[in-house]
Amino acid sequence: MNWLSRIFGKELPKTAFVETYESLFEKPIPPMRPISQLTFVVLDTETTGLDPKKDFIISFGAIKLRSYVLKIDTAQEIYLKTPVKNKEAIQVHEIIDPIEGLTIKDFAKQFLDYIGRDIIVGHHIGFDLLMLEKVLKPFGLKKLLNPVLDTQYLAMRLEKGPHYDPSMGKPGEYSLDNLCERYGIELDDRHTAAGDAFLTGQLLLKLLKMAEKKGIKDFGTLMR
Amino acid sequence: MANVIVNRVKEFLKRYPPFSFLSEDSLEQVAKEVEVRYFSENELLFEQGDPAQQYFFVLKEGSVLLTEKKDGQEEIVEVCDEGDVFGVLALLGKRPYLLNARVKEESLVYAIPVAVFEKILHENSRVGLYFAAGFASGQVVVRTDLSQSQKARTTFKEISRDSGLLIFTGQSDLNYSSDVLTCPQHTLIRDAVAAMAEKGVGSIVIVNEKDHPLGIITDKDLRNRLIARNKSYDTPVEELMTTPVITKRKDAAFSELYLTMIKNRLHHLIFTEDGSSDSPITGILSDHDILLSQGNSPAVLINALMNTWEIHEMAKIRDRAEKLLAYYLENEVSIEFVASIISEINDIIIRRAVEMAKKKHDPDFPEISKVKFCFLSLGSEGREEQLLRTDLDNAIVFENVPLSKVEETKEYMLLIAQQVIEILLACGFKPCPADIMANNPKYCQPLSTWKAMFSDWIHSPNQQALMNATIFFDYRAIIGNKVLAEELTEHIYNEIAGKSIFLNFLAKNALLNPPPLGFFRNFIVEKSGEQKDKFDIKLRAMMPLADIARLLVLSHRVVGINNTFKRFEKLADLEPNYRELMLEAGKAYEILMRMRAIEGLNSGSSGRYIQPEKLGKLQRQLLKNAFAPIDELQKIIQVRFQLGYFRN
Repeated sequence: MNWLSRIFGKELPKTAFVETYESLFEKPIPPMRPISQLTFVVLDTETTGLDPKKDFIISFGAIKLRSYVLKIDTAQEIYLKTPVKNKEAIQVHEIIDPIEGLTIKDFAKQFLDYIGRDIIVGHHIGFDLLMLEKVLKPFGLKKLLNPVLDTQYLAMRLEKGPHYDPSMGKPGEYSLDNLCERYGIELDDRHTAAGDAFLTGQLLLKLLKMAEKKGIKDFGTLMR
Repeated sequence: MANVIVNRVKEFLKRYPPFSFLSEDSLEQVAKEVEVRYFSENELLFEQGDPAQQYFFVLKEGSVLLTEKKDGQEEIVEVCDEGDVFGVLALLGKRPYLLNARVKEESLVYAIPVAVFEKILHENSRVGLYFAAGFASGQVVVRTDLSQSQKARTTFKEISRDSGLLIFTGQSDLNYSSDVLTCPQHTLIRDAVAAMAEKGVGSIVIVNEKDHPLGIITDKDLRNRLIARNKSYDTPVEELMTTPVITKRKDAAFSELYLTMIKNRLHHLIFTEDGSSDSPITGILSDHDILLSQGNSPAVLINALMNTWEIHEMAKIRDRAEKLLAYYLENEVSIEFVASIISEINDIIIRRAVEMAKKKHDPDFPEISKVKFCFLSLGSEGREEQLLRTDLDNAIVFENVPLSKVEETKEYMLLIAQQVIEILLACGFKPCPADIMANNPKYCQPLSTWKAMFSDWIHSPNQQALMNATIFFDYRAIIGNKVLAEELTEHIYNEIAGKSIFLNFLAKNALLNPPPLGFFRNFIVEKSGEQKDKFDIKLRAMMPLADIARLLVLSHRVVGINNTFKRFEKLADLEPNYRELMLEAGKAYEILMRMRAIEGLNSGSSGRYIQPEKLGKLQRQLLKNAFAPIDELQKIIQVRFQLGYFRN
C-alpha cells in the first residue's frame, strides 16, 4: 500500500491543509481566557485494535462544547475506509463494511478543518491522539498542536486532588462507564465513536461546572 | 449520514409531546439544532423580567422549579419533570419571563432554538394547538389535553395587550415636575436644606432675580461638599452649587432630553422657557422620572452597568442592549440617537473593563501602574457607528517613559489590554481578524512610537499600509489620559499639512471599491465562496462612504468629528457647492447602517452580507439610491486629487 510505505519514510512534505492548520497556532490562548469563551472538541475513535503500530481508525465521532453548551449541530460521525479488517474488533463494533467511508486523506483534511485550534477533549485521550496522529503523519503533520484535556484526569483531579496517584485506586474507578454512572449520565450507544463522544461531552459539561465551583474558571488554571 | 448523536436526541424528544406529534423529518430538523446545557443546583435558567431568550427548554434529566417573586419571597408555581417543556410562553408572546426557572437538582436541559420550531409550529396545527393549550395551564406545557385551548384564547388576548419590552414611549409618558424648589443666591445652605426637607425633594435650584437658573444643589452635594468637607451650615449656596446648569425646553424631543442626561451623566435636567439658561425656569426632570417611565431603557441599562463588577452580569446587560437596538430599528428611531446610545453603552463596558483590569494587575506593578495611558477605540467603534458587536479594533497609547522602563511598562499595558479584551469577548464582541487590538504588542505603544508610526504612514504611504491605517485615523479616546490622544491628533494634523501625496494615496484608497452598481444597475454580488450571491454591504457601500468622509474631512483639517454621517454634515457646511450631495451621502450612510444592523439581528451575524432578492421592493430602491452619492463623490475625488496622473 502506497500510503503505508509513506508512513515509514523520513521527511514528508507538508500538504497545504496541514500548513493552514499549523498557522492557527501562531498565538497561544491567553491563560486568563474564561472557560465560557473556550471551545472544546470532545472526540472518540473506534479502532481495529489497541496497537497503534498495527491498528487503524474505523470510525470517528465528535461534538463541540462552547459556553458550557453542547451543540448538536456540531456533532460529527465519520467512518473510514481502512485497509485492514480485524475480526475481533468487528465483533465488538459491529461495523463490517462502512458504506460511506472516507479516504484517509479526506478524513485528515476534514478532521483538521473541524478541530481548528479548539481544545481537544477525550476520555483516556492519549490512545486516540496516537491513532489520529498516525493518520495525519503521511500528510506532513508530526504532532497535533491543540491543547489537550483528558476527562479521566480531570475527574480524578476534581475528586481526589491534583496529586492523586491512579494506581492506588480501584481498577476501573475512572472508566467512562463508571464515571457516567456516578454522574448520572444515561448509558447508551456505548462503543460507537459518536455515542462515546456524546457521553464524554456530557461528562465534560458536569466536570467543568464542578471545576468552576472549585475556582477553576480560566484556561490557565484548567490546563495546569 | 445517520448520526448517533442526533438520533439519541431525537429518541428522547419523541417520547414527549409536542415532539411526539412531529414527523421523523421535522423531528430530525429540531434535534439537529438542540443545545445541551447543564445546570447545577440553585442556578437560574432565566429570571423574572429577563427578555425572552431565543430558546425554549425541555428538561432532559433533573428537576427545575418555576418560581415567582412576590414581596421579596420566592414562591414555587410549578415543578418541572423529565420531558417537561418550559419557557415557551415568553418566547411566543415575545415578552419578558414572568417566572424564574431555578434548578432544584442538577439538571441537563435541551435548549431548542425557536427559529427551527416556529416553522414547524405553523405547519403543524396540532403542535400549535398544543402550545396554545399550554398558555392556559400556566408556564409548563405538558401533560395537558387540548380541551383547554378555548381558555387559552382569553389569555392570548391579555398577552397582546402587553406592550412587551417597554422601551421607548413618547414624551407623554414622561412625568416631570413643574413645581421646582428654588432659592435666590446668597441663601444660606441651612435655609436651603430646611426648604428641601420641608418639601421632601432631593434638589434645589438656585435662581437669580429673574428666575433664571444659576446652579443646582442635590442631596449628594450636601454629602460630598458640605458634610464631608466639614463646612459650616452658614455657607452660601453659591459656594456649593453645581454651575453652570444644563437646560432644555420641556417640549424638546424626548430623545434629545434623554441623550443630554445620559451623555452628561446628569441626575437632573432643568427646563426653561426658551431652553437656554437665560430664561425663567419651568420644570425639572430627574433620572428617576425617566427610570419610572422607561421599563427597559438605556438609562436602566447604563445604571445597571454602572452598578456591577460581574462580567457575567455585564454580558447579560449588553445582550439586553441588543434587544433595545432591535426595538429602535423596528420603530425607525433616528440612527444618530441609536448609535449614540449603543456607543455609550459600549464605552461604559470598556471603561469598566479597564478599571477591572487595573484592579487586578496594579498590585503587581506598584510603580508602573502610575504611568499614564489612554485606551483608544478604532474603526467603526471609534466612529461611534458600531451597532452590532462586530470585530473589536482598539489600541493603547501610553506616555513616554525612560528607556529602562519601556519593557516593564509594555508588559503591564499588555496585561491590562489582554484582560480588557477577555472581558469584551465575554460580553459578546468578536476579536479582530487582522489582530488590530490593544493586546497586540504592535498596537500598545508609547506616544513617541505612535507619533512615529503615523508620521511614517503619512510621509511614505503605501497602499497596503494605508488600508490598515485608515482604521487608525478614526480613533477615539475611551478611558484614561485623554491628553495623550489629543497630542497624537495634533501631531497627525501637523504632519498632514502640506503633504498632498498622502492625501492622494488616501484618495486612491477611497476609490478602491467602485460604486456597487453593475452595468444593468444590478447589485454586484459575490461570485463564489460561502457568500455567493450575497451583497457585501460593508465593503461595497459603507466603506467607500466612510473612506470618502474621512479623506475630505482630513483634507479640510477638521479635528474631532469621527462619525461618518456627522462628517458629511460638516462637509455640507464646508463645501456649499456640494451641500446637497454631502447631505445625501450622510443620509445614505445612515440607511446603510440601519440595513446592516437589521440584517445582522435577523440572521445572528455581522450583517455584512445581504441577499438582494430577499429585500422588499422599497428596501431595494432605498439601497440603490444610497449608492448614487458614492458614484458622484468618487468622480469629484478623482478630479480633485488628480488621480488621473497618479494611477499605477
